[in-house]
Amino acid sequence: MFLGTIIYGLLNSAVLALMAIGFNLTFGISGVANFAYGAMYIFCAYLSWTLFNLLDLPYWLAVSVSIPCTMLLGALMYRLVLLRVRGQALSEVIATFGIGLAILELFHYLGFVGFEYTLPVLIDDSILIGDTMVDWQRLLVTGVAALLVAGLWAFTHYTRTGLAFRGIAQDERTALTLGIESDRIAMLSVSLGCGLAGLAATVIIPLGSISPSEGYEVLIKALAVCIIGGLGSSGGVIVASFLIGFAERFTDTYISSHWTMIVSLAAILLVLGFKPSGLFGRQKELEERI
Amino acid sequence: MIAAVAVILLVAEQPQAAEPIIIGVPTSLGFLEGKESHKVVQMAVSEINAKGGVAVGGQKRILEVSSMDIRDAAPGVPVPEALLGIEKNILEKKPVGIVVGPFRSEALVAAMDLIAKYKTPLIGTIAMTPASEAKVKEDPEKYKYVFRNCLNAIYLVKYLSGTMEAINKEFGFNKVYIMHQDVAWARATADGVKKSYFEKAGWEVLEQEAYPTGTSDFSSALMKARSKGAQVIMPIFDMPQSGTLVKQWKSMNVPALMAGFISPLAGTDAWKSFDSKIGGAVNCVFEMGSAIASDKLPKSVAFYNTYTKIYGKELQAGHGPAPAYESVYILAEAIERAGSLDPDAISAQIKKTDRMGIMGRIRFDEGNQVIYGFDPKETAVAAVFQWTEDGKRRIVFPESLADSKIQLPKGLKSAK
Repeated sequence: MFLGTIIYGLLNSAVLALMAIGFNLTFGISGVANFAYGAMYIFCAYLSWTLFNLLDLPYWLAVSVSIPCTMLLGALMYRLVLLRVRGQALSEVIATFGIGLAILELFHYLGFVGFEYTLPVLIDDSILIGDTMVDWQRLLVTGVAALLVAGLWAFTHYTRTGLAFRGIAQDERTALTLGIESDRIAMLSVSLGCGLAGLAATVIIPLGSISPSEGYEVLIKALAVCIIGGLGSSGGVIVASFLIGFAERFTDTYISSHWTMIVSLAAILLVLGFKPSGLFGRQKELEERI
Repeated sequence: MIAAVAVILLVAEQPQAAEPIIIGVPTSLGFLEGKESHKVVQMAVSEINAKGGVAVGGQKRILEVSSMDIRDAAPGVPVPEALLGIEKNILEKKPVGIVVGPFRSEALVAAMDLIAKYKTPLIGTIAMTPASEAKVKEDPEKYKYVFRNCLNAIYLVKYLSGTMEAINKEFGFNKVYIMHQDVAWARATADGVKKSYFEKAGWEVLEQEAYPTGTSDFSSALMKARSKGAQVIMPIFDMPQSGTLVKQWKSMNVPALMAGFISPLAGTDAWKSFDSKIGGAVNCVFEMGSAIASDKLPKSVAFYNTYTKIYGKELQAGHGPAPAYESVYILAEAIERAGSLDPDAISAQIKKTDRMGIMGRIRFDEGNQVIYGFDPKETAVAAVFQWTEDGKRRIVFPESLADSKIQLPKGLKSAK
């Protein structure tokens, strides 16, 4: 059982990292705490479901359409709303939270509630590791999370847009003097963050189901990971994902599943009490923000 | 001038159309059970209206449905918000009676004082806590307006205990792992089966775990069930995410029989939704007619088929629709017997109900709870069925309705 808990702790950590990475990227670059993040996750999932089930598109095509649509929605949110309150942290939080709430409640109002709202697994099989059976979809989530982390690192270090992202993150005014348009880059970072939320949804949702309440869960988990790791710190996100991921599974196995949901919230309180900027949160240093 | 007076007189002489009788449906309309219950209420109302409506004081009056989404089933929605919705429905629409009602037991118990205050008969068809009956018994005069027409937690305990007894008798299994949602009715049910059956019958309860509403990862519990040698896993859940438990049970090859109640597993759509990974799972449907029908109870088949014909889709909720449909007829018949819309007279007549319907025979006990048993000729009945490996559902309990016996899933051997 111990080995099983380790394996599932690892898989849970990958799920958490994948859930949080988009939120962290947006905050790290533009400073926008996108509280509509969970809603974007759910939006992409419902859109994929609709395209796959109602329009009978192949799943890969449904996902290929829904992720860009989620990115477009994120970009529109920035252009139409966030641009006007840019730099006012509280207004940004209220605006994004309001938009997220509206999206989730719209799905609820339209009747998108029920167990039939789920996405198909990409690999429908299991593998025995030691004496623990693990389904391939979870391994796929782990693989996608690892690839994404590596891909984002390469993107921010070796592409013009990625370097511009880092420039804005480092010092927006200086970046402006170098011809980097900060509003455009901030919009792209919000859009990319939303796209990453969508990507996470398309590989994680097949393990469960889609419901508007899941949007709030995802937001809380992403927040927990980012606050514990240190807002804007990619390394912090990875470490925090492992901390919470393992803590949740060990609580499940050795204490009680009843307490699992408060693990991340308790961890937030602890971190805010002892190290308010998070474990790796030195937000004024560039290398900690990208 | 003369013409104008003639027109006025003519209009005055026209018989005034009787006001429709409003039936309130304040419930969680966004959830499957609430959504389908609302639809069958409309179906019953249409059937009654097609025959001219309900006879009250020598006049036929049609029925009209006034629904309201009180959202009490959604995680995080506080009970006072649900109560506000019910009060709004009562004050604005002035329903003669309420059917379906609150989803969560916590909301039902809290709403009872409101129902008593406004003297509006309620025939609840979803919330299941026996606490509401206890309140009725404590103060029958005050709470005489509150009825429940669906299964309650006590009867669910009896059905699950009966199923476990059958499993023990057939396969010799006596090690169980209990998993339930952390809400009042599920806690009460799990505790009830443990105390009234497992402990008395000498079963070993390996663990009893509560899961907050919204949980969607059950891998740790399944690992524990496997390592502790569970022969039966008894789940009790009504949240959409709970279907994942069965998928994980299947993909993790846990060698134990899954038998209990998982609401998403009730209807035919579950087979496709859960990637055909639910074969072997044994599941309870709370009222015959809700999501399943039996040839042994022809009215349940007729109800199921009529719904499918009207809405173009089979019923999927294993709890709510059948009693919601019945409750409209119970209310309509009570109004006709009472001969007035006086709430006291209607409540007294609801109490005297004795009708054969889609759930079997319907009568209320002293706590205003519909009486359940295992024989549809005598009482209302639920049904326990098993998903076969080829995606069909076979009723396995009670014996009076059973199509076949429980089959063990592949890889699981009998202990006998």
